[in-house]
Amino acid sequence: MKTPLFYLMLLPLMLVISACDKVIDVQLVNDSDKLVIEGNITNVSGTQTIKLNTNVAFTNTNTYPPVTGAQVKVNDQYGNVYTFQESSPGIYTIPTMAGISGGVYKLHVTIKGKTYDAGSTMPAQVALDNVRAFKDNFSTDDNKRKITVYYHDPKGVVNQYNFLLYVNGVQVKRVFANNDDFTDGNKVTFDLAQDDISIYAGDKVTVEMQSVDKTIYTYWFTLMQQGYKGPIGGVTPSNPPNNITPETLGYFSAHTTQIKTITVN
Amino acid sequence: MQMARSIFTIFITLTAIAAYAQKKATINGTVKDAATGESLIGASITLQELSAVGTATNNYGFYSLAVTEGEYTLLFTCVGYKTVTQKVSLHKNEVINISLSPKNSLQEVVVRSTRFSNDNVVSPQMGVEKLNMTQINQVPVLLGERDILKTITLMPGIKSAGEGNTGFYVRGGGSDQNLILLDGAPIYNASHLLGFFSTFNSDAIKDVSIYKGGMPAEYGGRLSSVLDVKMNDGNDKDFTVQGGIGLIASRIKVEGPIVKDKGSFMVSARRTYIDLFLKAIPDSSINGSSIYFYDINAKANYQFDDKNAIYISGYLGKDVLGLKNVFGTNWGNSAGTIRFTHLFGSRLFSNTSLIYSNYNYMVESFQNNDGFKATSKITDANLKEDLQYSIANNHIIKFGFNILHHDIAPGDITTTQKSAYNNKHVEQRYGYETAAYLSDEWKAGDHLTILYGVRLSGMFLLGPGTFKTFNSDGAATSSITYGSGTVVRRYFNPEPRFSASYTINDDNSLKASYSRNTQNIHLLSNSTSSTPVDLYVMSSKNIKPEIADQVSTGYFKKFDDNNYEFSAEVYYKWLQNQIDYKDGAQLLVNQDVESQLTYGTGRAYGIELFLKKKYGRFTGWIGYTLSRTERRFDAINNGAYYPARQDRTHDGSVVGIYQLSKRWTFSGTFIYGTGNAVTYPTGKYNVGGLTTFSYSKRNNYRMPSSNRLDIGATLEGKEHKRYHSSWTFSVYNVYAHRDPYSISFRDSKTDPNMTEAVETSIFATLIPSVTWDFKF
Repeated sequence: MKTPLFYLMLLPLMLVISACDKVIDVQLVNDSDKLVIEGNITNVSGTQTIKLNTNVAFTNTNTYPPVTGAQVKVNDQYGNVYTFQESSPGIYTIPTMAGISGGVYKLHVTIKGKTYDAGSTMPAQVALDNVRAFKDNFSTDDNKRKITVYYHDPKGVVNQYNFLLYVNGVQVKRVFANNDDFTDGNKVTFDLAQDDISIYAGDKVTVEMQSVDKTIYTYWFTLMQQGYKGPIGGVTPSNPPNNITPETLGYFSAHTTQIKTITVN
Repeated sequence: MQMARSIFTIFITLTAIAAYAQKKATINGTVKDAATGESLIGASITLQELSAVGTATNNYGFYSLAVTEGEYTLLFTCVGYKTVTQKVSLHKNEVINISLSPKNSLQEVVVRSTRFSNDNVVSPQMGVEKLNMTQINQVPVLLGERDILKTITLMPGIKSAGEGNTGFYVRGGGSDQNLILLDGAPIYNASHLLGFFSTFNSDAIKDVSIYKGGMPAEYGGRLSSVLDVKMNDGNDKDFTVQGGIGLIASRIKVEGPIVKDKGSFMVSARRTYIDLFLKAIPDSSINGSSIYFYDINAKANYQFDDKNAIYISGYLGKDVLGLKNVFGTNWGNSAGTIRFTHLFGSRLFSNTSLIYSNYNYMVESFQNNDGFKATSKITDANLKEDLQYSIANNHIIKFGFNILHHDIAPGDITTTQKSAYNNKHVEQRYGYETAAYLSDEWKAGDHLTILYGVRLSGMFLLGPGTFKTFNSDGAATSSITYGSGTVVRRYFNPEPRFSASYTINDDNSLKASYSRNTQNIHLLSNSTSSTPVDLYVMSSKNIKPEIADQVSTGYFKKFDDNNYEFSAEVYYKWLQNQIDYKDGAQLLVNQDVESQLTYGTGRAYGIELFLKKKYGRFTGWIGYTLSRTERRFDAINNGAYYPARQDRTHDGSVVGIYQLSKRWTFSGTFIYGTGNAVTYPTGKYNVGGLTTFSYSKRNNYRMPSSNRLDIGATLEGKEHKRYHSSWTFSVYNVYAHRDPYSISFRDSKTDPNMTEAVETSIFATLIPSVTWDFKF
């Protein structure tokens, strides 16, 4: 049974109970200035980006000091080396590069003599067949919509997916990770259930579907599990396990990507 | 085995000594409630002439006392009942059955400072709390539903898992480390409606005891506690109907004699009607929803003669939750026991039990392409034999064995053809938990009583199935298939049990105990709250039996003519082979669930203070616990000790019951506790376009402290010959304190460029309730 679907079923209870929410002041210890590496290699030819910055204290604004002057390189199993240049502070890019399915990519970052390594294998692309909007059964508001994605999971292959959802250009603050433990080989309908942004007829909704490798799936799945609040769900939070050594915040993901936009009817 | 051999030798020697003892005769019999015929557990029998001699009735109301021949005056006493004296001229074995009449607490109370051999000061048993059902029924409760699981958390050392959660933690242990027994049958999920109410209908319950430490050898199977709940036998004199109508649930109990004074039955049922309120709401998605629970307790017994009796108990409960055409879920326990008691001679009491217990849940989704049904269950079949033998009056030997078979179906998914989901079946698992025990309660002189014994516990994991071994990375290092009935893995653990009490004088004593407990069935759940979909696994090739060693010592005192009882207990517990989960662990319907686990150790220590006033217009108690519980896992927190989630430094409760007049009784409870240990972020960053929080140490913070006051009042109806009624009013959370349920972190709703902390509460208001109870 799919964990996200189970939590989805108990969403009505969660919603009833989270009505008693109050913003409070909490004194938190500050463990900041830790390096964060966010690296993405996609199969779409174009600029590939790796970001280096540091985390900040909880009470700061959500702006993260860039880490400048680092050497960033990615190589694949064929011996190709891709050197990234710092195009703006903390943002390292390469103008025209595309990853290929099956490519084993290794990230190598050097900052002031310290090195960080990460590896990710780009899986085969699984097509995003369709994106549709339906009446949201868990809402008492008949006008609210939920977004459902359709794809056909390849049989006999272990597949992992990560989805991003945007409503009128604003990203929905939820993680949607899914694998084929329960759906191997089937035509899958996956609901991107969320309570962050309400969706109504006329809204422009964009969905990005990524095929990700196992380590990256565990990364997003852990963040998703930690995101459940209320009486059901909620696991002890921790920094999600990733593929970077030595232990660093962030991730390095080689994934296929596909985007579809619809207007909600 | 060494330990068992030496204990056996002692046993033989004692029997020999007994044979040479002075000419003794035995007095035995049962003590019952004069009005209903219910057998009384823990009633005290003492001899006026010999202050050092006494005993107590066992779980079946049976007692046995061996004394030198002579003339004696027997005193039969029990809390809540009038004392009965009986003269006996003892020259041969006598059977004396006694009925005690309930005492009206407003009557002039003349309490004698008799040494009840079962009372808190004299008995070597420590770390036990016994609940008085009358007091449970007077303590104010949420929405009018009396709940023994909520009431036991008012005792020191026992902490509630929070609002909306019937789980509880005993002396720092996890919520799956408590064995909950209903007439001997294990109840796996003792909660209704996701934890708001428990599965125990207090109308059907006679006696509740919880052992927190110094567990007697006849109990075992879990590390932290045994909650032994006994159902009412049923009134064997009159046919009665009683019940109550409350705001969200109603109950009814029918009981009566099968054969007057020889056999009786009791059936008690309860159901909520929250769903009827939902049907009244016009919104079609709400009025098609279902949310309800029901439970039924039934018992029958028959006393063939003074030596033989049979008892049959059953329980059935179910919770249903669903949203029309979208999903449905239900879960429930069912349990049944058949017990035969037989008295060999006049001193050897035997109880043979056949026990069945089942817990299952089902989740069903009806959405067109997502249709599936997921089920899981655990079924236990158990044969138990318990014997109690009184030798020479200063030894009570208890021995017996227990064979329990587990049948666990960890998870099954069945789907429709068009469904996005595939059928999935996680292999069923089978095993035996076995135990044999021997203990002696030895009155070694006027002041010292020693209870010593051993419980030998065994675990046999059986095929058929494919069993894998995993390394710490979660990769399978071996995979072997076994045939049906083959032993895949066996574990054997002797559990020594020892406790002693030294009475300084009639009113003061010191006690000490040491016990080892092992646990071979483990609840896997990485959720921070209890859910009905929790998964049970047995010890295996990867999971070792959990072991706890506990030492405790305490000082016990009673004063003001036994009106007050005070105790101070200190304990220290070492825990081994504790289980935790890897990040991103997927536990549900996962054949390789054991690859998601990590193992470590723990320790817990604390001091519990308890003061109780037992008699008079005003009764009640104050309990306070100061404690710490920590865990250590190589994979977590860099292998350093960290506080367990349920660590709560201060935890206190005050309960008061005041009987104003014949008709009015008032009660109040006040609880205070510092917060659970939680993990809060120590920084933030952005990945995938989302603000993400970073953490350093596990459980490095505390939730805000919680406190709550509940009050209640009961108005007894006017005296009627054939009929009695009462009204109970209660207010939960009188000063509407916002007890924080959880704290989460997110981008601020008012300024998305900043982050904020949000506190969620469940009951932030006061909740009044009214219940009407009746009895014919």
